[in-house]
Order: sequence, then structure tokens, then C-alpha cells
Amino acid sequence: MKYETVIGLEVHVELATESKIFCSCSAKFGAEQNEHVCPACCGMPGMLPVVNKRVVDLGMTAGMMLNCDINRVTTFDKKSYYYPDLPASYQTTQWFAPICVNGTVDIRTSAGEKKIRIKQIHMEEDAGKLVHDDWTDTSLVDFNRTSVPLIEIVSQPDLSSAEEVLAYLERLRDLLRFAKVSDCRWEQGSMRCDVNLSVRPEGSDVLGVRTEMKNMNSLSAIERAIEYETARHIDAIERGIGELVQETRRWDDIKGKSYSMRNKETAGDYRYFPDPNIMPVVIDDDWYDRIRASLPDFPEVKKARYMEELGLSEYDADQLIQSRAFCDVFEAAYAECGMAKEAANWLISDCASVLNKNQQTFDMLNINGKALGQLIRLVAEEKVSRGNAKRILAEMFKKDIDPEEFAKANGLILSNDTGAIEAVVKNVIVSDPKSVADYKGGKEKALMALFGKCMKELKGNCNPQVLRELLIKAINEE
Amino acid sequence: MDQEALKRLERLNKLRLTEEETAAMLDYFQMQRRELESLHAVNTEQVERMVHVMPMTNIIREDKASQPFTREELQEGAPESYDGYWQVPRLVD
Repeated sequence: MKYETVIGLEVHVELATESKIFCSCSAKFGAEQNEHVCPACCGMPGMLPVVNKRVVDLGMTAGMMLNCDINRVTTFDKKSYYYPDLPASYQTTQWFAPICVNGTVDIRTSAGEKKIRIKQIHMEEDAGKLVHDDWTDTSLVDFNRTSVPLIEIVSQPDLSSAEEVLAYLERLRDLLRFAKVSDCRWEQGSMRCDVNLSVRPEGSDVLGVRTEMKNMNSLSAIERAIEYETARHIDAIERGIGELVQETRRWDDIKGKSYSMRNKETAGDYRYFPDPNIMPVVIDDDWYDRIRASLPDFPEVKKARYMEELGLSEYDADQLIQSRAFCDVFEAAYAECGMAKEAANWLISDCASVLNKNQQTFDMLNINGKALGQLIRLVAEEKVSRGNAKRILAEMFKKDIDPEEFAKANGLILSNDTGAIEAVVKNVIVSDPKSVADYKGGKEKALMALFGKCMKELKGNCNPQVLRELLIKAINEE
Repeated sequence: MDQEALKRLERLNKLRLTEEETAAMLDYFQMQRRELESLHAVNTEQVERMVHVMPMTNIIREDKASQPFTREELQEGAPESYDGYWQVPRLVD
């Protein structure tokens, strides 16, 4: 018998905020243990949570990027469970009126295009981290991540293979990074995924027994886990190997197996109830319109515009839309200098190489696009050499400078003072009669030697074309 | 509220009740239930569900980070702490 896999995903994304969802502690990743904690996120009695407005902004932004309806009155609820990484013994989340419902995401796989429906997106707080200490046989708790804002994107069970799941996750990541909702870094846990999977005979409309694998944090692990779980379900159905029960399972990526967590909690067990400490959030037309107006074009819309209106090649356009930061700097530079191809080249080769050298991702590009446009113009107008322009660019990565002012202050403006160039040329010719004779005897290379000496004397600050012409003229007049 | 429902609550709340405590707890829940049932006498058909006592909305703040407490202050009352962590009995699911 042929089978089909039915998969729904719950994707957790950490939001790009400065502070936590209900208190002002920093939400930054990578601090020392319990550096970012206060009585509110430590769940001490009597503390009142206050909603971070930016969390609502980003929740709405995510929903609009994924074609969702926005609930104009959205509320928070308590989800009860006991575990030491959750100090209040409940998680504040959204159950009754989540911020977004009914969206869609278009994915593309080898089988063509497909629409994946989004059931809802809700805002919630993250839990802390536990470190199990074998030496003392205790658990050590770090609350830095407690109350870091998350959105959970819940899909309908519309996915049917590992390939579709990866395409869906990559599309989510692209859209959310483009809208600056999150940096979506799997390796830092800012994107994580629960996989709900069941198997049924092909064509059947009855869902099979569903298992859930929680907290998957890499695309390769997700792919392997889906393949393993699908085979395990089919073995259980066909040959009665192992038991198939509705449960949460843990994926061990090193052993390549999933294990039962014997945790059969259902929604009822969480005893959701409205949080009386957090007042409803009402999104009026002004707020809604402001977020709608702030949405970026989808990456493919930008790509088409770059190619059709600005004449970029498909390769260049593809490189730019890898990152919203690249697009922003490119557009600002182009607006300033009007040279699309040059602006694209500066980003794709020069800026990318500085970022690589600094071990930074493309999203971390933080230079002034207008200044880059000014720099491109200085090169085009032959006021600054390409080599010196790279030095100026390196400065632009350190601080916001005016390229022309910087070039002037550091003697990087190309000299058009032919008198000064002629004086240097004259000196060089007198000091190297052998090269002059060689050139006159037909050795082209000898000219390069003389040219190099002049350039060195002039410290690189002269128009190479002008120098070459003056040099040949002076030799011929010898 | 019967034995089985109480067992479930025990598990969810990570508690272990003795036989006497179970009996006392069941009595307590029965009493609570009788009191709650008396509320059925009130007709609430036309009344909207009320979650919040105060008629307020949008109690929100700007996204600004600050750190008014130190780790040491917060861990002063902790029964056990170690190297900046809160230390609790080992718990593995």
C-alpha cells in the first residue's frame, strides 16, 4: 500500500527587540548566566507584566507578510505547567484571541508551487534554560531567556514531505528576515520548530496517529527526523513494529532516532485561562496602517524591479536580495549616484568581502548607503582612485564619514595638477635613463617601470590616464 | 471532582498527596463545587464574559532595555545558587 505523510509545523521565532516581552530586561543573546533578570521575569509574586509595544508591531508585521488577518482586539492567557525553567509556573501566551489568523505561504519545490495555510500566529514568552550538572546531581537554572519575546507560527497540516517542510521553513526565514521581524538564526535558537507528523494510506481523508517532535533546531535534523518518523509510522501500521500512540518524542540527531518522552499532556491539561494582569491590546486603524505602510516588498518583487527598471543581471539581483540590509544600502546608494551596476558591484564584491573578513553575515551590513553613492561618484568622476576608494570604504564600516571630506583630509584626492605631475615625470626620466632607452628601443615593459616610479613619487594620487599620457609625451620629447 | 480527576491534578502540579490529604482535598473540592453550583441560580444569559475588572486597554511600553536589579540581589532569597545559577533538584523528563 502507498502512504502519504501529513505534517504540520509550529515554528517559534525570537523577535528582534531590545527588551523582553513583559519587562525591560535586555533580550540580547549571549550574556553571562542570569545577567538579564528582574523580579518580573523571575516570576516573583506581585509583579505586573507590561506589554512591549514593539512585540505587537513585529507580530503584526509577521502576520501581514504571511497574508494573515489581524485580530484588532488581542489578549494574553496563562498556560499552566510546572518546570524549573518557567519560574511563574505558567507561560504567558495567546490562546483565545491570537494576534494573527488564517494566512498563507507560497512555497516552491521540485513538484511545483504550493500554498501552505497558516492557522494562527501568537505572541508569547520564551522559557529559561536548564543545565544539568552531573557533579552535584542538580539542575542549574538560567533565566536570561525567560520572557524573551517569541511568535509561534502554526501551520495547517498541509505539508507532505521533508522537501516541502524545508522549502516552507526557508520561505518563512526569508520573509521574516526581510521584514526585520527576527534574525532567524537556527544556531542561536532564534528559530526553532516542532514537527507534528502522521501517516495515512494515500487518498484517505482520515488522519493517522500524530506524534510531535519538539524543539528541532537545524534544517538537516528536521529532514532526517521526518524521514525516520515516516518510516517508523509505516512500520508500525504495516507490520506492527513498535507502538504508535499520540505522544511527544525527542529527536536524537547523533543516534538518528526519536524517543518517546512519555508526555501525554493535552490542551486541557494546560488549563489555559485569560491573564487578568494584562489588559487587552486594541489595534486601531492608525496603528494598523502604520505597520502596513512599513512592510518591505517581497524579495522577488525587488528582484524583478532591479532587473527590469535598473537593468541589473539576474545574478546581481539574486545576490542583493539575499539580505534586506544589502537592498537598503543598494537603493540608497543608487538614489545618490544613479549608477545601478556600479552600486551592485560595490556591494556584492567589496562590501561582501569586508563582511567576510569581519566574520559578519550580510544582514549585519551597517553602512550609510548615501555615502556609498557619493564614493561611487568620486570614483566615476576620477577624483579618487579605485584603490583609495576601498580604503575609504573600510573607514565607512567603522564610522559614518563623508567620503569626499575624508579623502581631502587624508590626501586621497587624485591630482589633476599637470604641472606637479610633469615635474615628477621629468625627475624620474633623468634618474632612469636606461628604462627610457629600453622603451625607445621597443620594450613596452620599461614604460611600466617608469610609470610605477612616478606613481610612487605621487603617492598614488594622480589620474593614471593623465600620468601615462604625460610620461609618453615627455619621453618622446627627450 | 473524583479520585481520578484529583490524581490528574496531582500529576500536573507535580505533587504527591498522602491518603489523608487526598480525602481532605476531595472534601474541599466538593465544598467548592457546591458553592460554585449555587451561582447557577443567577441568570447570566445576556451578560458578556468579564475577564478584566478595570475597563482599560493598551497598557503598553516602548521597547527600551534597562537593568534595575543585579543578579546578586535577586538570588539573595534563593535557597540554593551556584556560579550565578539558581540551583534546583535535578529534573530530567
